[in-house]
Amino acid sequence: MFYRLAGVHHTRYEQARALWPVPADRWQVLVIALLALAAPFYLSDLYLGSYMLPWLIWSAGALALTLLMGMAGQLHFGFAAVMAIGAYSSIHLARLGIPFELTLVGAGLVSAVIGSLFGAAALRVKGLYLVMATLAMQYLVDWVIINVPAISGGAQATLRTPAVSFLFVPLESLTARYYLALAWVALSAVFFLNVKRTSFGRALVAIRDKDFAAAVIGVDPFRYKLMAFFTSSFMGGVTGAILAFCYYRAVTPEQFSFNVSIQLVAMVLVGGLGSVVGGFLGAGFVLLIPIMLTNFVAGLAASGWLAVSSNLLSHLPLMIYGALIIGFLLFEPLGLAKIYDNIRKYFLVWPFRHARS
Amino acid sequence: MKWFRKHLFASALMAGMAAAGAAHAEDGTIKFGLLQDFTAVYTFVSGEYNQGQRDYLTLVNQEGGIDGQKFEAIVRDTGNQPQRGIEAYNRAREEGAILFDFLSTPVSRALVDSVLKDKVVMITPVHGRGDASDGETFPYIFPMMATYWSQATVLAKYLEDHGGLEGKKIALVHIDSPFGREPIPVLEDLAKDKKFEFKAFAYPSPGNEQSATWSEVRRFRPDNVLIWGAGGGQPVSVREAIRNGIPPENVLSVVWLAETDAKNVGADTMKGVKRFEAVATGKDNPILKRIQEKVIDAGLGAGEAANVGTSYYNIGVATMAVAVEAARQALQSEGAPLTGEKLKAGFEKIKDFNAEGLMPAVTITAKDHQGGGAGRVSQWNGEAWEPVSDWGAAYQDIVQKEIAHGAASFKEGK
Amino acid sequence: MEYFIELVVNGALTGLMYSLVALGFVLIYKSAGVPNLAQGAIVMIAGYAVWLLYASGLPLVVAVVVAAAVMFGLGLLTERFLLRRMVGQPIIMIVMLTLGLEIFLRGFGPGLLGAAPKSLDIGIGLAPIVVGDVFINRAYLVGGIVAILLIGASLLFFRTRLGTKLRAVSDDHISSWAVGISVERAIGISWGLAGITAVAAGTLWGSVQGVDWTLSTLLFPAIAVVILGGIDSIWGVLVGGLLVGILGSVIPGYVDAVVGGGTRDVVTSLIILVTIMIRPYGIFGREDIERI
Repeated sequence: MFYRLAGVHHTRYEQARALWPVPADRWQVLVIALLALAAPFYLSDLYLGSYMLPWLIWSAGALALTLLMGMAGQLHFGFAAVMAIGAYSSIHLARLGIPFELTLVGAGLVSAVIGSLFGAAALRVKGLYLVMATLAMQYLVDWVIINVPAISGGAQATLRTPAVSFLFVPLESLTARYYLALAWVALSAVFFLNVKRTSFGRALVAIRDKDFAAAVIGVDPFRYKLMAFFTSSFMGGVTGAILAFCYYRAVTPEQFSFNVSIQLVAMVLVGGLGSVVGGFLGAGFVLLIPIMLTNFVAGLAASGWLAVSSNLLSHLPLMIYGALIIGFLLFEPLGLAKIYDNIRKYFLVWPFRHARS
Repeated sequence: MKWFRKHLFASALMAGMAAAGAAHAEDGTIKFGLLQDFTAVYTFVSGEYNQGQRDYLTLVNQEGGIDGQKFEAIVRDTGNQPQRGIEAYNRAREEGAILFDFLSTPVSRALVDSVLKDKVVMITPVHGRGDASDGETFPYIFPMMATYWSQATVLAKYLEDHGGLEGKKIALVHIDSPFGREPIPVLEDLAKDKKFEFKAFAYPSPGNEQSATWSEVRRFRPDNVLIWGAGGGQPVSVREAIRNGIPPENVLSVVWLAETDAKNVGADTMKGVKRFEAVATGKDNPILKRIQEKVIDAGLGAGEAANVGTSYYNIGVATMAVAVEAARQALQSEGAPLTGEKLKAGFEKIKDFNAEGLMPAVTITAKDHQGGGAGRVSQWNGEAWEPVSDWGAAYQDIVQKEIAHGAASFKEGK
Repeated sequence: MEYFIELVVNGALTGLMYSLVALGFVLIYKSAGVPNLAQGAIVMIAGYAVWLLYASGLPLVVAVVVAAAVMFGLGLLTERFLLRRMVGQPIIMIVMLTLGLEIFLRGFGPGLLGAAPKSLDIGIGLAPIVVGDVFINRAYLVGGIVAILLIGASLLFFRTRLGTKLRAVSDDHISSWAVGISVERAIGISWGLAGITAVAAGTLWGSVQGVDWTLSTLLFPAIAVVILGGIDSIWGVLVGGLLVGILGSVIPGYVDAVVGGGTRDVVTSLIILVTIMIRPYGIFGREDIERI
């Protein structure tokens, strides 16, 4: 019904290779794109500023990390540090009077260079050891930021973002900030979708699946692993800058602590490794579910449905959230994207149970 | 593609809004957003603190409110995460809250600009940014009690009055975070002025293990040690101090040292340790007595009755006492319904308010949002905290210098 | 010189206290191959359990024994209902599951029993043991002894019949099955044992700093211990703990004053990094890591 495949013929390679060969996917993307573009007109400031905006930015962060973890198979438990480097360097660059457009690129480059150092560990080890190595680097970056007042901004350790404009539009109103974030996440998503179809993307996948097998067929693991770290850190750095300028607008070290790294990893994993949908779903889950649960539980308590101590009340969302992560992983270990995929596959052949293949 | 997610999103939003709608019903109430961290870093204080705040608001409502206006607390957990704090803030603001208390450094830092723009009041009692004492730069932010800078000076003043400072060795043992470093500039200035030797020692966060730091402190042979931490790190600091042969009487703490910590160290062992105190502890106060009678005994308390009268509970009570006083002033001079702007004006009219003896008299002006920075030193006597000095502020000139410096760099956009 | 000795001694004892946390991590990794990032939270739950029993009036020994039994049972249940269903899934998803468990436990313990720190006074006393000008921390000394005893017990345990089965399982799941060893049970038991070591860690750390959620942050130094010592080696826990403790005490002891900040986390991070760069499998770990 939704996905009518009858009559969809691909007679040219370009058609078969299109991003969305099935028309149903195309109109879904179109509808969502329109919904996202029109969001400032139908969403209140509360939902636009506290739900949509952070969701989009974190989705971009999750996509950047997915490129590394899902596509290249390099685990990274210190991505918040990469984003922090982007955020701090963007603010310092903007203070120097560099145009914001260049600032974003500069922040990305700084993150990419330092982020590639994280990648140096990946040249040596992988799997669990890489997790530990990146985690240790997160602590090092945190320490440097906290202990160097020139970076973190003096006694109060708070850096406010200077007023800037992007392409002559001042980044002041919520709408302007929303559109910049939307543009960045759209760019990230399109980039991600297309990377899969380039030789670079295929090389990354080859390394993920078996790095020495990749080396045998002529893919240089050293080079491509570093490139994966470079690209992903660049995206992470720009995302950090966007996060600072469009959302927080005042940067403190705690915003990029170890916990945030874990949250980013959770976004990627709960979403499902290696897909764009997973990035969006995972970011939404990790970022918004705790908020919604808090409001939901508070609402229940206010209406007298839940008569428990206020201490338990405040910890209940945490418990439900943890249980949800466990539950989803037990239900579908490959993440939310896989659940989406199952639903899509079901409708792909609906009303029948199986496709031919 | 994402439609499934969208649906989920929308329906959850509906649920959230329905829940929020329930709280909307009665109008003519003054809403305070107490959006604090109940599940992460600040758990050591937020439970009792928030309980005190809510119990005091209940007391005011039980006594008929102010000019017939009742108070309502919107309580949410932010988990010390800025993005959750931002959401909770925006939601509470839509519900009509005009005063916010986040009790979390990262959350309040992230919201300073929003609060200033939205013209609602944010209080940062005994914590939070010291430079916000400058009411001209931060018109809507009210530390309203002694900031960390003032706490350091009150402690130093106590030492000067009891044995003098000149030629002494003072150590600051602090958690390695911006909060831990905050008193350093003030103490360094004081060391120059008063000619004592000052040295800061940092221990890594969260502070459950500090033995190496204290080996170093012992060799500095300090006459007095100021401990500057919070939560689990505090009892460890006190234990390590005693273990390293520093008499408990020579240990002075920032405001975050309470009955739970004493129990943790051992009530007898900790006898003699002093701390800064911004609000009197115990139930021996007219307000606390009324809370006991009209709120706790009536079964309206927000938590365990055993917490009533503890240090953090009383701080919570005092914060709301000041806030309600501000609302009273605002209602008198500006009239209902209250807005953030009117409440701000109300705050700035507070003069010599001491919450019936619960706290030092505060006078908040348009310029000074700290309210004088007074406090006192109290000592653990094995069972309770016993005041050993009178309410008062100290060396505010040095504090003002820091405030001016911080406010100036804020104005520059830093 | 005394300063140095004091830093070394107290550092070594602290390190052994970390070993207590690390031991549970290694026990699980050794048999199941699962890096259990919830071990810190399990230590916290164990601390709460001991506190609950002890505060209800039981003698300390009884409280600890009952708590150990409870934690053993909880370990078995965790394995049976959570981890076993993930067998064969990508390892990173299993890591995510343990993270989910960590979040759940972080809400569960403080939520039900109160978030304000609980005091757990096990009567060790504060007065240091003074040797010359060296002050030795009595609580850490007790902790260090308990750690050595538990590590010794684990070493002996792996020589018993059951322990031999566990070793077989840690070598190869499929061949263990082939010779009739119940791999599931072996892994379950290792989770249970990890629960028991968590009781020791929770009690001792709880007595030092109080029982609250911050106990779960002990995971980070424990990971440094594990990485340095070798992720599947009991001896590694002992030696790794000693080294991490001593380095994390001596270096900050001299460097902090120069840098003006707490450098212990930096030292710990550098230990992890350097170990991984030079000898990823740690001092005693088995060298089966894939290399490029």
